[in-house]
Amino acid sequence: MEKDRPLILIHSEMKYHSDTSPDGINIMLTPQFYTVKRESLPVQYAYQAKRIAPSLFEGLLENTQEHKYFVDKEEEHWLFIAYDIEKIKSFLTSKGIEIANVSKMFFAEQSIAKFKAPVLLGEKDALVNLEGTMTIIPQVVLQEEEKPMPFDASFTPKKGVALEGRSTSILESTEAYTLAAILALFAVIYFVEGSRYTNENAAQEEEMRLLLEDYPSLQSNYTRESIATKYRTIDKKERKKRDIIKALSHMIFKGSTLTSLVMDDKKFQATFTYTDANIKKKLKDLAKKEKFNISEISKSNNLTIGGSL
Amino acid sequence: MTQQLKAYKNEILIGLAFLLLLVSLIYKQGKVSATNSEGGGATSSLQELKEVIALKKVWGDKKITKKVDKIKDIVAPSKVTWSKKGKKLTASFKNMSAQELNRLIVKIMNLAVEIQKLEVQKLDTSYQVEFKCKW
Repeated sequence: MEKDRPLILIHSEMKYHSDTSPDGINIMLTPQFYTVKRESLPVQYAYQAKRIAPSLFEGLLENTQEHKYFVDKEEEHWLFIAYDIEKIKSFLTSKGIEIANVSKMFFAEQSIAKFKAPVLLGEKDALVNLEGTMTIIPQVVLQEEEKPMPFDASFTPKKGVALEGRSTSILESTEAYTLAAILALFAVIYFVEGSRYTNENAAQEEEMRLLLEDYPSLQSNYTRESIATKYRTIDKKERKKRDIIKALSHMIFKGSTLTSLVMDDKKFQATFTYTDANIKKKLKDLAKKEKFNISEISKSNNLTIGGSL
Repeated sequence: MTQQLKAYKNEILIGLAFLLLLVSLIYKQGKVSATNSEGGGATSSLQELKEVIALKKVWGDKKITKKVDKIKDIVAPSKVTWSKKGKKLTASFKNMSAQELNRLIVKIMNLAVEIQKLEVQKLDTSYQVEFKCKW
């Protein structure tokens, strides 16, 4: 993709460039625009190397804070390049190159292996690979047998620098990508949550469908309501009757005997015979707890417990 | 035009991501509202249906007639007067021991029938029961 774009070699003596490429251009800087160092360092990743880059250029650059750094791994070394982006932008503008039209920026050092012969820079200078470092030398010192080679897009390296903050953009790419990633992450979370609600509804509808398949007579709301009303009434009343019988059965213990029980749809009445006052009290307490009516039968050891349903 | 777009690609990226977030938020809210209205209705309908099925299983049990017949097996046939007409039962039990009474009451309590009358009388050491029910 990047290799499809024209690659313009940027040097101080270059002519005014009037680019017309609709897809933008790539540029390759000559050593006039950067400072290079190659170091063999025990670091594995580029971000680690980039972190120590400013310290490597201390003393070499006038102001390290104004520079940006490019780091790339070569076969045996780390390639460190320091460049002043504002100075480069200013130069590009002065040569008629719109910053917004620059897709990627490369450094001649990155394509050192491709500079097998000198590349002429205007009429006076030439860019050559001098013992493994790209150097600008006067054309007059070139040997006669050194035939200059043309410069084209085939010199485009894989890794380049995007001109951040170019034109009127107020955000740098790193910030933009981070923010976009966070927003996208939240978007994914919301989509997943929304999808979960959909699945819950679908599961309930499926369960409902299966139940109605098993009980087709309940498909009508009216029938369901009617059956529910009928059985709820029965269920409530019959559960109450059984609860009363259960409560009365708990009143049968040593010293207390059930002598009679009458229960119908509306009321109940049970008679207990007790042996002494303590049993009578216990019976009364149990009956009160169940909110039953209590009546004592005079001159007897009987207690009547009753209530309505 | 393409160059202008490129110049603002970071802003466009953020804008698109924000738009995606907005769409996802609307999508989620839509689903939540649907769950709370239709879904909430579906949940209550499902619960109601389950309740009706459970009630029908208990009080509309088609095998209840056979289950009712087992009451008379609790005591010796000589102690039972049995009259079953359709879905109504009138039964009398005489000379029952306390254990037999206990078994009978437990059985009646566990039967899904409508108790119309339950009368227990203690006569000396035995019990007499009148039981009427329908289903």
